[in-house]
Amino acid sequence: MVHIAPDDVMAHDVAIVGGGLTGLRAALLCAEKGRSVAVISKVHPLRSHSVAAQGGVNASLNNATQAGKDSWQSHAFDTVKGADYLADQEAVDILCGDAPRAVLEMEHMGAVFSRNEEGRIAQRPFGGAGFPRTCYAADHTGHTLLHTLYEQCMSHDIDFFEEHFVTALSIENGRCAGLCAFDLASGEMRGFEAGAVLLATGGYGRIYCHSTNAYINTGDGAYLALTAGAALKDMEFVQFHPTTLFGTNILISEAARGEGGVLLNAKGERFMQRYAAKAMELAPRDIVARAIWKEVQEGNAHEGGYVDLDLTHLGEERILERLPGIRQISIDFAGVDPVDEMVPVQPGQHYSMGGIDASNDCRTSIPGLLAAGEASCISVHGANRLGGNSLLETIVFGKVAGQTMVGMTKEHMVHDPARLKDLMRREADSIGHLTDVSRDRTVAELRRELKKLMFHHFGIFRDKGTMKLGQLRVHALRHELGKAGIDDIGKSYNQAVIEALELRSMLPVAEAVAISALAREESRGSHYRTDFPQRNDQDFLKHSMVTMKDGALALTYAPVRLGRYEVRERVY
Amino acid sequence: MRLKVRRNAGDGYGPYWEDFDIEVKKGMTVLDALFLIRHRQDDSLSFRYSCRGAVCGSCAMTINGRPRLACRTQISLLQEDDKLPPLVPISVQRGPFDPRVEVLIEPLPNMPVLKDLIVDQTEFFRKYRSLQPWLLQRYPELERENIMSKETETELDRYATCILCAACYGACPVNSENEEYLGPAALAKLYRFRIDPRDSLGGERLDQAPGPSGWLGCRFHTNCFKVCPKAIPPNLAIGKARQEMKGREGRA
Repeated sequence: MVHIAPDDVMAHDVAIVGGGLTGLRAALLCAEKGRSVAVISKVHPLRSHSVAAQGGVNASLNNATQAGKDSWQSHAFDTVKGADYLADQEAVDILCGDAPRAVLEMEHMGAVFSRNEEGRIAQRPFGGAGFPRTCYAADHTGHTLLHTLYEQCMSHDIDFFEEHFVTALSIENGRCAGLCAFDLASGEMRGFEAGAVLLATGGYGRIYCHSTNAYINTGDGAYLALTAGAALKDMEFVQFHPTTLFGTNILISEAARGEGGVLLNAKGERFMQRYAAKAMELAPRDIVARAIWKEVQEGNAHEGGYVDLDLTHLGEERILERLPGIRQISIDFAGVDPVDEMVPVQPGQHYSMGGIDASNDCRTSIPGLLAAGEASCISVHGANRLGGNSLLETIVFGKVAGQTMVGMTKEHMVHDPARLKDLMRREADSIGHLTDVSRDRTVAELRRELKKLMFHHFGIFRDKGTMKLGQLRVHALRHELGKAGIDDIGKSYNQAVIEALELRSMLPVAEAVAISALAREESRGSHYRTDFPQRNDQDFLKHSMVTMKDGALALTYAPVRLGRYEVRERVY
Repeated sequence: MRLKVRRNAGDGYGPYWEDFDIEVKKGMTVLDALFLIRHRQDDSLSFRYSCRGAVCGSCAMTINGRPRLACRTQISLLQEDDKLPPLVPISVQRGPFDPRVEVLIEPLPNMPVLKDLIVDQTEFFRKYRSLQPWLLQRYPELERENIMSKETETELDRYATCILCAACYGACPVNSENEEYLGPAALAKLYRFRIDPRDSLGGERLDQAPGPSGWLGCRFHTNCFKVCPKAIPPNLAIGKARQEMKGREGRA
């Protein structure tokens, strides 16, 4: 069924997997420096999940002058504290130190930011932040950034390979020398040789049900890195966003609370008082998500498991100006207008703090292979990411990755083209084989089972017994994958193949989450153990590292790189 | 509910209609229903998708004769289509159907069909790119952000929020007659750069879309505005651009 494409192998200086903000930022820099660039993405770049980011991007611009004096060091402190001290402080310094420049650069490229009275970029308060430092474009900040970067990329000669699913990396003598990809439109396999390969594939949120993520976020990059021999770091740290729309779990931005929205339980109580008396609704996400879940468990929530987000006191004008998208989402997907009704919300999976282990300059342990953005773990978010720091990470580290790759052109590549062709043939065979497999299980069934399993066994509250069961089941699912064939024998746009390939990514990635979570016998940031409710710095102030050997996963640890911020108790 | 899907196998087989019966649950969108079919009945049914929250622009298709996003269209609300402003007729293949018990699902018009509900958007994006849809910085040396009034920001945002889903391109009667016509989305994008005070081309932006393939091609059917999931009015942008060009001629 799958053929090797006629013009099967192409060479570029740089091959970037993923066309979201990180991938495009890296691509733009490499193109500006005269490098030949291929961007390979399973969707059109504008369909990437970056486009859905709502609330904003943090930078200590000091535009909210009435709030006092902000600095990048304050931003770094908030980030490290928010991370429950698991972030690498040197990496956080890069993130926050470069933030003002990165945001201004996006404005210069054409991003349409919301403005304050002085005509400067407006900034709003966000959870866990000491200053109003979140720059925003109403509640569609990801949209303006992604479209702006795509526009800039259009002004250069970048080769876009849209709707190409990367199935394997080509590793030669320990170095990444390229990759092969399945072209959805033609149903053919294509090979890419490159001096450097960047994985900018986003997170693995869709291994969970109740996720805010786009359907496409299935951890494909993490899978590619893992099978190529790189390590996955801190995979147990999965962020649950406190406010996702009840029913569809579409994100209701933290901006809603930043603008003054309050959370009420079914009795009408502003329950955050009992969980974070000072910060209230603007405590970091892990804390607010747990508080809501606790209300649900204690029977204080509405039937079905949700609480109310009250925005009515903000008034129509402010809602229309600052939160127009949130209003539309509430109307379209829940049938409520936040101008005069409560929005029903519940916590849902939102972000992957863990990812491919990468250095401050985005290198993985495999020469020639880089990772950045949500796909990576550098780590700047540690055990819990602050709102407004993910968009920031993409534009700061996307550029860093680009700079690292500028020095790695295809001329440096020592490469045997026959090896790549072999890999392409093997991958083509394995895809072709999907229609020969029995249909004891279906891909869709396994996928559904995995997602539920992850949410219930590795969710907001975790304990040993539940996780152990979950881990055994996830492991078993990996073996059942071999029994789930597909029916579609078509060549063009065979999306059954894509869903099968995605499941192939999701299962080992989920198992990496399971192994890391089970072994971390403490509570830190998003990882909360009811059987170990305290943080334990003595034994667990360290990064979990998962590697794969002969298909089996192994867990080791790596030290956290501390810095000027002393490890303290985390109170809000 | 019966979904009548216009299919196209992509290798020369088709087009043909295929019926799928599904049980509609509360809140179910057309995208949910398509996944239900793919996962329970026929895994060869192809359609684009990503965010399922009406922001990525992947899943524009024709539903009961109207181009729209499948993820934003609740099946139960299709009964209320008669409350929507009617469109100037477009070239869809709609046969007779009963909206109380049937949903008619077709690919977007005005673009070649690749497979089932997936259309080839190459031309759509080529036209967009031909207009240099990127900011040509007027003040690249600035160390701070450009100062911009809230009014300017609001006006820019009205057009900059386009998600390039191509629903308007599919709904435009001019696009179906004139394959050179740039289409509503590309023109609205061009106008967004025209009014951006940070752009160095200024009024010259208008010259990028002359004649009947550009501003003058529009006949103000306003289908574009009526189908836009983001309520963007390309017709308004085109009208303002024409007005400005007319004013310029008057002064010359």
